Amino acid sequence: MKINAPFVEKILTKFIKEELSKFQYKKGILGISGGLDSAVTSFLAVKALGANNVIGFVLPYGKLSRSCEKDAQDVINTLKIRSRRIDISPMLDAYYKHNPSSDRRIKGNKMARERMSILYDHSEREHALILGTSNKTELLLGYGTIHGDMACAINPLGDLYKTQLRQLAEYIGVPEHIRKKVPTAGLWDGQTDEDELGLSYEEIDQILFLLVDKRMPREKVIDSGFAKEKVNKIIRFIKGSEFKRKLPLIPKISERTVGHDFLFPYDWDR
Amino acid sequence: MKIALAQIAPRLGDLKYNLKLHQNIAAKAKKENVDLLIFPELSLTGYTLKDLTQDAAINPQKDSAFKKLRTLSQGMSLVFGFVEEAEDGLIYNSSAFLSQGQTLHIHRKVFLPTYGMFEEGKFFAQGKNFRTFSTPFGKAGMMICYDFLHYSASYLLFAGGSGLNIITSAAPGRGVADDQSFATSSMWELMGKTISRFSSAFVFYCNRVGLEDGKVFAGGSFIYNPAGNLFALASYVDEDYLVADIDLEEIKTFRKKWPYKRDDKPEIILEALKRIVKNYED
Repeated sequence: MKINAPFVEKILTKFIKEELSKFQYKKGILGISGGLDSAVTSFLAVKALGANNVIGFVLPYGKLSRSCEKDAQDVINTLKIRSRRIDISPMLDAYYKHNPSSDRRIKGNKMARERMSILYDHSEREHALILGTSNKTELLLGYGTIHGDMACAINPLGDLYKTQLRQLAEYIGVPEHIRKKVPTAGLWDGQTDEDELGLSYEEIDQILFLLVDKRMPREKVIDSGFAKEKVNKIIRFIKGSEFKRKLPLIPKISERTVGHDFLFPYDWDR
Repeated sequence: MKIALAQIAPRLGDLKYNLKLHQNIAAKAKKENVDLLIFPELSLTGYTLKDLTQDAAINPQKDSAFKKLRTLSQGMSLVFGFVEEAEDGLIYNSSAFLSQGQTLHIHRKVFLPTYGMFEEGKFFAQGKNFRTFSTPFGKAGMMICYDFLHYSASYLLFAGGSGLNIITSAAPGRGVADDQSFATSSMWELMGKTISRFSSAFVFYCNRVGLEDGKVFAGGSFIYNPAGNLFALASYVDEDYLVADIDLEEIKTFRKKWPYKRDDKPEIILEALKRIVKNYED
């Protein structure tokens, strides 16, 4: 699980820089939540593109998680990047006034998609590409909102587990109070990822690392000292969220079909 | 003998740009009196072509870019990678060795990685041979990327008398726990060290850099001498241009000291292989 942080930083900044330039973009835009993932992405983006070419969006729901907003502001101030604050509560409240729900998860997903919608709007206005902030742990567990926080143009952190991100964060100088924070998706007050998942990130990442990176069979992972219920739960999460990692299925009826045998590189003509 | 490895980042599917890149580097190499200039695998086209493969294919007999590169090889030797359309319409991942305006050899990649992130077997026909050929610098042989990870391929070049093993590569890096480079870079170096030492031959490995579809090509091109010592190493991940003066006499010197070549028994290997293949069980 150990990473060579300077090397990883080099690769990821190279990736951001080259991928944006291939698509003839100079600027990157991202939502900054005050958490670790968006902080690390911001730091990498500044390193790759320069502070003038990174725009941070703070998109709180009213007064929910004021402390997160303060941390988000810290990232912006430390990096001296342009920023914008847009409260999403007027849009959300207007919608829920006519379509009420008491389900916190449903509302959380809607918030994530509202933020996505704002970022895409500004992506076009600013001619800036959206930098995703989903890490490998979240992607594998499906712990994110499809077409919400998972939506982006490029996703620099997508091959780093949360615990590896912490190593990188320390190296690139993310402030300690952000690195040491208890991770939260910010869906409701007092929510934490680990409570919701029922496992710590250390455990999750170690199990994922064995299952995914090391291709170890379930039984062997359990034999190596992880509780059966935990391993099974993680496998259930992975299987249950495959749809979030794919484009929507298309039934193949013609001779050549998008998603089946129309096979072009992402960097086509770039 | 002066050799140069051009660790470039070709632009995907852009033959015009890539040809220019080859011409510029070759002009520079010529000025420096380089005898042999090596470009990476698919240097003329980029790697992740998928359905662009057919559009990028050229016929060495007829294509104008190929002709330009042949002209470029006046006064030097040149190795580069391209998508080859054969006379029968089959498409290969090939490398050409050009010298003094002539095509001395074309190697068609035999081992096409088709697993995990790789899908070459979907788009390319498989080459059928590992031949050695004469060059102004003695007998040489070529391999392309995954060919080199099958030591049987290196054995065939050894048995065929190659003293210069040329490997062109487009190897993406994987694994970031190691120092300074991707974990897979040390795999290539291990093979380079082993094959050079036990073939008592030079190994020139020219890998590419740059990113395609999120894959990061690892660079780290290298030269091992016939004693199995690392002679030169290009930077990891970044573009580079590695020039080295090598002494071809080292092949003979080392073969006198360690007679692996003299004591090789290709006829025994051949018969043993025939028996093994004949007795394959399903």
